[in-house]
Amino acid sequence: MVQLRGSYPFENFLQAGSIPSVWCPGCGIGTVINTFIHAAERSNVSSNDICVVSGIGCTGKVAYCVKFNSFQTIYRSCIRCASHIKLKNPNWRVVVFLSDADFMISGADDFVGIVKKGIDILVIYINNYIYYLYIKGKNLTKTPFMGVTVDKSIESPFNIPHLAESCGFRYIARWTPLHVRRLSYSMTDSLQKPGPSLIEVISPCLMYYSSEGLVGTSLNRMDYFYDNSIIKKGERTENLDLRFKDKIIVGEFKDGT
Amino acid sequence: MKVFPTGMQVIKGEVSIIKDRCKGCGICISYCPMNVLEVSEEFNSKGYHFPVVKNPDNCINCGLCEMLCPDFAIWSVLKEKKQVVEV
Repeated sequence: MVQLRGSYPFENFLQAGSIPSVWCPGCGIGTVINTFIHAAERSNVSSNDICVVSGIGCTGKVAYCVKFNSFQTIYRSCIRCASHIKLKNPNWRVVVFLSDADFMISGADDFVGIVKKGIDILVIYINNYIYYLYIKGKNLTKTPFMGVTVDKSIESPFNIPHLAESCGFRYIARWTPLHVRRLSYSMTDSLQKPGPSLIEVISPCLMYYSSEGLVGTSLNRMDYFYDNSIIKKGERTENLDLRFKDKIIVGEFKDGT
Repeated sequence: MKVFPTGMQVIKGEVSIIKDRCKGCGICISYCPMNVLEVSEEFNSKGYHFPVVKNPDNCINCGLCEMLCPDFAIWSVLKEKKQVVEV
């Protein structure tokens, strides 16, 4: 019988009925939640003042698994609900976990209106290269990946840090689940300082990209990030397109006041 | 026998694993810098092979296995920390 030293250190931030989780073995969403709990513990924000909002799909289960003041919303209303929550409780710190389903099909007008209305939220955009829920992976919105989809067609990419800079966000960064410590320090910095911020996490879906030599299984997926990513701090956001055979550019791109 | 220069710290840690939460992805085993873990031959109640401690004296409490795990199943605790005064 193996002895355990105490209990898991952040047990009071996890919902008891949601472990073991519903995601695939080695999914990037689990790592992002683990990093967020470490970042919230290190910052000087009290845990009663943090609010987590999520939408639909696999990313929509994040609000079910953590024990902050959390809400799960319905289709096409994620950012709108988060804006109303922030206006009612101005001393809370609101964090939104977005995916392709809540942003590219409908909801882009709410995203552009964040800075125009002066609302102060942190957006964590998990980019898994596919939107499967309603349209079965056909090429309606393939946000920023110029590659093959379920029916072997190609669509042009989309550049989210460039959109955020033209809207006027204060802090813009992009990381992968391999860079855990830098992602955690980015989250702590955004939780403590005022102003809207965007952090994009590149984490391809394991069910649809683990064959044909694209990304591989969960262990090979971390090697894929290690070989194909390059850190460039302060790069201009016009050069941040995601293409299939090129390197992924990560780092902090804007850190203003 | 290892010889350390003066003024250096020696840190040791201890790793604990909850085996029923593990889903067998294998990330913690291959990303440990000191080769502390290995795959076990038993499986848990869901049928996955979980990691087992192989060299417990090598752990330096870096915390990478704790932050990389997607299922909240492994963590590390500081065991001792001492300062080397003379060679």
